[in-house]
Amino acid sequence: MRIEPSPRRAAARHRSTRSIVATVAVALAWVLAASAASAETRGYVVSWFAIATNNPDFAQNCPRAAKDPNRVKFVVVDTEVPQRDIPALVDGKPAPALDYPDALQKDPGIETVVGKYAYGFDLGGPAANKFIDPDTHSAVDDQLWRAIGCTSGFQATPPVLPYNETAPWGTMIDTSPAYAIQVSGADLSKDGPVTVTLDRTLRHLERDAAGGVRSGVSYVLDPSPRSHNVLSGEIKDGVLTINPGYIYLVGDMPFYTQIDLKNAHMRLRSQPDGEVVGYWGGYTDWHAWVYTFTARPAGGADNLGIYWALKRLADADPDPVTGQNQLISVTWRMEAVPAFLATNDGKVVAMASSDGLGGKVEQPMEAQRPASSGQ
Amino acid sequence: MKVSYCGSLAIVMAGALPLVGLAAEPPSIAATGAGAATPPSELEFATSLRLSPSQYQQTIADIFGDSIKIDGRFEPEQRDQGLLAIGARVENFTDSGLESYYHIAKGIAAQVVDERHRAALIGCAPRSQTSADQGCARAFFARLGPLLYRRPLTEQELQDRVAAAGMAADQLHDFYSGMRQSLSEMLISPDFLLRFRRMEPDPKHPGQERMSAFDKAAELSYFLWNTTPDPELMRAAASGQLDTEAGLTRQVNRLLGAPQVGDGIRALFADMLGFSDFEAVSKDPSFFPRYTPNVGDEAQEQTLRTIVDHIVNRHGDYRDLFTTPHTFLTEDLAALYNVPLIDRTANGQPQRWIPYTYAAGDPRAGILSEASFTALWSPPGRTSPTARGKALREHLLCERVPPPPGNVSFKFVDDTSNPDYKTTRDRLIAHRTNPVCAGCHKLTDPIGLALENFDSAGDFRTTENGVQINAAGELNGKQFVGPQGLAQAVHDDPATTSCVARRAFAFETGYMPPTQDAHWQQIQQQFAASHYDVLELLRAIALSDLSYSPPQSTQLAAANR
Repeated sequence: MRIEPSPRRAAARHRSTRSIVATVAVALAWVLAASAASAETRGYVVSWFAIATNNPDFAQNCPRAAKDPNRVKFVVVDTEVPQRDIPALVDGKPAPALDYPDALQKDPGIETVVGKYAYGFDLGGPAANKFIDPDTHSAVDDQLWRAIGCTSGFQATPPVLPYNETAPWGTMIDTSPAYAIQVSGADLSKDGPVTVTLDRTLRHLERDAAGGVRSGVSYVLDPSPRSHNVLSGEIKDGVLTINPGYIYLVGDMPFYTQIDLKNAHMRLRSQPDGEVVGYWGGYTDWHAWVYTFTARPAGGADNLGIYWALKRLADADPDPVTGQNQLISVTWRMEAVPAFLATNDGKVVAMASSDGLGGKVEQPMEAQRPASSGQ
Repeated sequence: MKVSYCGSLAIVMAGALPLVGLAAEPPSIAATGAGAATPPSELEFATSLRLSPSQYQQTIADIFGDSIKIDGRFEPEQRDQGLLAIGARVENFTDSGLESYYHIAKGIAAQVVDERHRAALIGCAPRSQTSADQGCARAFFARLGPLLYRRPLTEQELQDRVAAAGMAADQLHDFYSGMRQSLSEMLISPDFLLRFRRMEPDPKHPGQERMSAFDKAAELSYFLWNTTPDPELMRAAASGQLDTEAGLTRQVNRLLGAPQVGDGIRALFADMLGFSDFEAVSKDPSFFPRYTPNVGDEAQEQTLRTIVDHIVNRHGDYRDLFTTPHTFLTEDLAALYNVPLIDRTANGQPQRWIPYTYAAGDPRAGILSEASFTALWSPPGRTSPTARGKALREHLLCERVPPPPGNVSFKFVDDTSNPDYKTTRDRLIAHRTNPVCAGCHKLTDPIGLALENFDSAGDFRTTENGVQINAAGELNGKQFVGPQGLAQAVHDDPATTSCVARRAFAFETGYMPPTQDAHWQQIQQQFAASHYDVLELLRAIALSDLSYSPPQSTQLAAANR
């Protein structure tokens, strides 16, 4: 599938054109955001972010790995040849495979997901690649999940964070600036059009007493335009979706150095406590993803196998010379908690609200409090 | 901001303050009661007050400096008639309590004589480190004694300290070990741990007694500054100025005009509001995740900052503390209260206290809505209007609510999942069908139910188990709705101002005032005439003869009941 080049690539090719367009777009976006903010703007910070896994039945997704989990981690499945025995050659000379993964003389061929279900969005990819979303029952393009879903570090189903993302995200929470979401609309208690604005904050997230991310905290938005994204969307029946767009957020190792999502889709739903849960999907640069992933303390992942699987399953933006797809479809699952957001001059631009997104959310019966004696 | 005379011993050593002159001026000592060091009488022991932990800590910091760390746990304080300050008078030391004080004393003494501090704090070097040096020891204890005992030492006491240091030094072959031992003994002496209220014949009024000047100085200082008398106050005691109306007025005005008065006000209200109970407060993090570990301490600090700002900086009417929109918040508290607070402090830096003003009509205005009240008087997993109402009556209105009977059943109030009783109000109504319970609950619940918009952690809410909260309440016949209505009712209740006056008097003296006494009524009138300016209340108490009179037997009996 041919995808319009992402702005980061376009910058290299059409720097001047992009500059003008981007400037106008950002200015327009700010105007739109500002006008929307005058109506009502609710603020959130992303409290949970990971590859959207879906492994309620691992045997169905990955039948061979289910029988022998170690095969996926350490053994080339097809050949039963230890990966270390596959030569990597550069100009005919042996080279370290992890430094030159393309020099590996054979695709390690790790098992990939064959199950039917995955979370995400129909990005317009080939019908043969489609999953079905368990929630919406719509077609889903998520080749990144297909590539890595059988590896041990991703054998999880929400709300369990996949192991390979747990430590990086935990580090991100305590050390790196947070991702902020503003949702603006004329009346957020009703269905209707909204503007979704994504930014980075200047400070990291704050923990709560249970070790999670605390809601109701105030954050100052990073004034840099690098991670400023304005997207249009709507709320319908309590679900927020956006019109396909582009999302770029700067990140930090050991999490992701960037969230770079082309043809970005979003689906968010409020929870009774005011938190938001949902999915971001689109196409991302598989090279960037895999290098970030392999640079992490991966915990037993088959880095070369994943590299080759991603390369093989990448499904968009073919290189005009080699034909190799540069992008791969992906879905991230995210959660966000209400937060107050302010600009660097101290002006509060988004309020923390426990009312959620659009429409009335039924308040459930509170869980039983621990009994305590006394008056 | 505290203007510190921290490390006054060190300053004395450097000659900046001639406090040592107190011991070097026998005529002055004789004039202010050479008998001050005689064993206290039974009555004097009965009216003595043990230093509170905060007074002890501040006293040590002021004498030796902030670098001396206090390592150990103080014996638990006892609350009597609403105040730890009254409990400080009637309680005795337990064996384990004395052991704790001795452990703390040894730790302090070891630091004072260690290589880091000895030059500054001892102020002289022995001729030999391996043996006693009476001259150096005498100079040290002569300077230190008045600071620790809050009066000059007698010659015998000074000789005893020097002898004790010398004996230990000779046995241990170490001068500083000897000094450490002798200093430890001073720090567990009743003359340091207890604040006596010694009486002496009043030469101006034959047949009557007055409080000794040094004890009066200590009482004033701990009352208004929550610490040991500063050199100027000691000089005023030594010179007899404190025995004159003009001299006393000058010192009281000086103390009330200094920033340290904030420390005294903080100590008074921390005691009055029952903040010592925060040690036992916990919240279930599953249900109240925003009640983070810092919140308990910060909630107390928020209220104390609000009070000090209102009283000292704004000279506000005491009653307005219950309705004031002005307060101070940290990011932790702002998140708990779900209000925006923009702090650009860098990652990892301590949170700042930022002034915050609630908008008109915000139900969070006033100290009753702060977590220092709403969270303090709630069990870990639910609210308790009964506990909140009881606390308000006892701590802020000086009323007494009887304890529940021993066999009372809490099955209705504890079961928050009962679908028939979704709100706390429903559960309490069910609980009150038991006539044994109904009587006392009528006193407490109508108050606490007005605060039901604040959950157990102090977070604002409008519903409970999906049901809209009914925050109607009543106080002494006045009906209202919600926290603002309660705050106004407390503001308007005459018991509110009379209670704080009585608490302030008791905080100074250790017993409640004789309310029928003409002096007391004059204090109340002065308070009212000042539009309930607490500084003026403190001034009236500090200048009243009533504060320095021996308590009547009925007052002692009340405290001992």
